[in-house]
Amino acid sequence: MNAHDEVLESVALLALGTLPENEARSVAEHARTCPECRAEYAALRAAADALGYSAELAPGELDQVSAARLKANVMRAVRAGQSSPIPRPDFAFPARTPARRVALWLPYLAAAVALVFAALSWANVASLRSENDRWARQVAELRSSVQSDAVLQERLAAITAPASQHYPVPAGEVVTSGGRVYLALKVGALAPGKVYQAWTLRTGAHAVTPSLTFASEPGVTLVELPEPASGLAAVAVSVEPAGGSKLPTSKPAFIRTLS
Amino acid sequence: MERVCERDVAAFEAIYDSYHRLVHGIALKMLQDTMAAEDLTQTVFLKLWSTPSAFAGGNFGAWISRVARNRALDVLRSRALRAEGELPLDVPLLEALDETVFATLDGEHVRSALASLPDDQRRPIELGFFGGVTHEEIARRTATPLGTVKTRIRAGLRKLRSSLETRVVS
Repeated sequence: MNAHDEVLESVALLALGTLPENEARSVAEHARTCPECRAEYAALRAAADALGYSAELAPGELDQVSAARLKANVMRAVRAGQSSPIPRPDFAFPARTPARRVALWLPYLAAAVALVFAALSWANVASLRSENDRWARQVAELRSSVQSDAVLQERLAAITAPASQHYPVPAGEVVTSGGRVYLALKVGALAPGKVYQAWTLRTGAHAVTPSLTFASEPGVTLVELPEPASGLAAVAVSVEPAGGSKLPTSKPAFIRTLS
Repeated sequence: MERVCERDVAAFEAIYDSYHRLVHGIALKMLQDTMAAEDLTQTVFLKLWSTPSAFAGGNFGAWISRVARNRALDVLRSRALRAEGELPLDVPLLEALDETVFATLDGEHVRSALASLPDDQRRPIELGFFGGVTHEEIARRTATPLGTVKTRIRAGLRKLRSSLETRVVS
């Protein structure tokens, strides 16, 4: 075996992807200028890449229920990001609102839209499974705590209905079901004199509307917004003084576009 | 893929239907974990949707296989807490992949070609591709001299290529 045969063997390792990084760079550099090695690399890389097909699952090898759930998760995420351009909430406040407050909210609104895209990015793809698992835990927690509360039971039934639409947020989910909007959030207790307040933005509206205020409950807090789901473009939650505000006075805990 | 670049969900779904078993299979074989394989499959396809321009042309199956393998290597790396540079580097293709090899590929086809290799060639190739380990590690695990491992991998890949071409011609 001559010296170049040894290089050709390294080219094969390069094609298979088993060379350590420093060696890979050096062999690749050589292959760029050596016709024989370049041809060998092209031929063997094609063979190496074909290896992946040996792991391809036959249709019967994949559990059909899992496969359907997996596809549904992927397509749901795709459709959520597909409404391109995602309706960018033109959040602004009533004319009497000081301009300073508009400026306060705008970065968060931009961030909300960015988050939708970020959810699809390579680095930030939050595992849908994790969300599902978290959701399952929250539902289980709710189930155990609402047994004696008919209203909560009704809400729980709504958010777990098959046709419900789920929009994950950092502390839980915004859920639309049966034309209603629900917040299922695991949020901490606030200092005295403070409450959580929901805000809604209707499609095409130019101002956010204050929605209900609520306190945190032990475990998961489940509230139903008074506004109907239809025509809602986004929902947000912020911390406000007790009694609520007509306009948000703090950074929102989240802003969620419903698309 | 052009239609996917234009945000055509139906086109994306067709690609998903055609390639999810390939991606899922690679993930499962490399990670040996059903849940991790599902996560990886989701990640690969959502990556495809978010940045379809990452596919620069050539054979799509080969490309997405490589993407799945690289992603699985990342997972293996994080599991093993290995140093970043310890696992093999994926070197960009010097030339377009040979369409002859990929014209009619499917799982059964490649499995059969792979099975036709002698064990001492097939095993280091599978360890390298699916195990994501270096040839030195293959030599250590199989208690084989390093030079012998290199020779066998090259011979095996050449044979595999020849076998795949033969099947395409026949």
